[in-house]
Amino acid sequence: MIETFFDSILYTFLFVTLYLEVFFLITFFEERLKLAVKSSSAKLSYYPSTTIIVPCWNEEKTVSKTVDSLLGLHYPKDRLQIFIIDDGSTDSTWEVIQKFADNPQIKLFKKENGGKHTAVNLGIENSTSELIGCLDADSFVDKNALHEIARAFNEDLHMMAATPVLIVHEPKTILQKMQKTEYHTGTFLKRMLSPLDAINVTPGPFSIFRREVFEKIGLYKNAHNTEDMEFALRMQSHHMRIRNVHTALVHTTAPGTLYKLYRQRLRWTYGTMKNTLDYRFMIFRREYGILGMITLPLFFFGIFIFLYNFGFIAFHTARSVIDKAIQISTVGLSFAFPRFDPFFFNTDFMAILSYVFLGLGLVIIWNGTKLAEGRFRPSMGIFYYIFLYGIVAPIWFTRAVINLIFSSGTKWR
Amino acid sequence: MRAKIETKKYVIAFVITAMVFFGALLVSNRFQNKRLSEIKSIENKLSLDILSSETQFALLKESSCKAIDHSTAFSEELNSLAQKLSYMEDNLGEENAEVINLKKYYSLLQIKDYLLVAQVKEKCGVKPITIIYFYSNNGDCTDCKREGFVLTKLREEYPELRIYAFDYNLDLSAVKTMKSIQGVRNTLPALVIWEENYYGFKSTEDIEKIIPQLKKLRAAREKAATATSTRK
Repeated sequence: MIETFFDSILYTFLFVTLYLEVFFLITFFEERLKLAVKSSSAKLSYYPSTTIIVPCWNEEKTVSKTVDSLLGLHYPKDRLQIFIIDDGSTDSTWEVIQKFADNPQIKLFKKENGGKHTAVNLGIENSTSELIGCLDADSFVDKNALHEIARAFNEDLHMMAATPVLIVHEPKTILQKMQKTEYHTGTFLKRMLSPLDAINVTPGPFSIFRREVFEKIGLYKNAHNTEDMEFALRMQSHHMRIRNVHTALVHTTAPGTLYKLYRQRLRWTYGTMKNTLDYRFMIFRREYGILGMITLPLFFFGIFIFLYNFGFIAFHTARSVIDKAIQISTVGLSFAFPRFDPFFFNTDFMAILSYVFLGLGLVIIWNGTKLAEGRFRPSMGIFYYIFLYGIVAPIWFTRAVINLIFSSGTKWR
Repeated sequence: MRAKIETKKYVIAFVITAMVFFGALLVSNRFQNKRLSEIKSIENKLSLDILSSETQFALLKESSCKAIDHSTAFSEELNSLAQKLSYMEDNLGEENAEVINLKKYYSLLQIKDYLLVAQVKEKCGVKPITIIYFYSNNGDCTDCKREGFVLTKLREEYPELRIYAFDYNLDLSAVKTMKSIQGVRNTLPALVIWEENYYGFKSTEDIEKIIPQLKKLRAAREKAATATSTRK
């Protein structure tokens, strides 16, 4: 009886998850021709003036490479300004960035530490350009990224913000390789949310805005350490268009250790839930389109669905492991090679649904990789993502839910 | 201008999802039915084989002892059937009517085989090694799982050992009669070895102590294996 009750909840969740995957795949089918568009270096009819703000807090190791990548952008030098803002670093970031002091494209600012959003706001207040963007000091742009985004702004005058495709920069550890594939799936999801006007975050690495966005809705504000999400939701609440430009590529550094990944994801997950709650008036409201009907419920309730499904799988896995342990402790280890009998091939309902989810997941990974890297290449990252993500993600999901219940916030670092 | 919600798209996505979801359910049911039919067909075949052996035995009388080697006959089939039935029990649940029916039929086949072995024993003077095992799946027998592992291992190691496993709570008159003939109490797991009842968990070593022939069988097998490898 109890098992039937929990199974019914699980099946409902699985139906909803499957529905969303099907929905995004239909969108992918509708968008397939547009997705074939590749990056082009053909001259633009107009190059909007642009300011890129690089907020830094103790980024002495990576900031130079970040600024160098901006200086290497294929974009007229007189149309691009770079603001490097030292947000009260305690390392030698300020000394490191002095080497850019004489560059006419670059302006240096130093302020007391006040959080990333205060540094970006300082840059916005000092800029006069038509487009304003931000680039985290641990990210690096592809040379065509701004060119592609400017083209998208030229083509769509209603577009108020553009987000790029994020690629994990030089993954070395297993966790970084896992995140690379995770980012690829994120690429697919964001690109599908884009034409649906349902993007809920304008990420720190190279999201670019029209100046009028800040004039109309104001600057960044403190929002559970996920200001880029709050800002996107504020834009959406004002019906401002955010689009994903899949030909603009940005490389970002992913956490290499479990602890660093946990800290980052806890901040993201908690921020997602808190910001979604702050903007809950948009949930299930038709006037906010698919953002209200799908994205916000997906990102909020999805965490609970994920944890429930994980709990179900963990319960059954634990039961099998206990059985195996009892067997070994009773009769010892058996080294006999199991005979294959198709009779025992798992074909129960849950197993068949798992095969369907795995298949659809691979389709999404395949297409996300193609979008981010131009072509699909099998990698260990896919293997790590499929087998590892489901084990590590519950750690920060659980903690984020606990923090939400007890209203304890998260820290940046 | 925000992208509009296209009701048609929502509906199409819903229809496709429902088709995939219920398609998975249908495919799964189809496979389950196929498995149940496979078990039924194995049981039917086994039933026929046992009947054939019984008939052959009745026809040939004493001379059948030479004609029929019943030391390991049906043992492997019953073992394989038990594994498949247990798998279905795990998948469909112990309360599933089909599973209960198949289990009843399996129990009857075991009793028939047990009777046939008893006839062989009486007429041919052989002493087959048999264990009758009573278990419960109702959650009231904590050691039944462990006992199951022990007996499975023994069954694999000694094909000559005939193990008849009965669900103590199975609502089948033949099983009830078996319980009463053997005088088995509701203290599970319960083993009947050579007409003596043993209650509680018995390890491999315990059973090997009760049945010393098992060690002899192992020694003979090891000796045969050494001889074969020396010949090579």
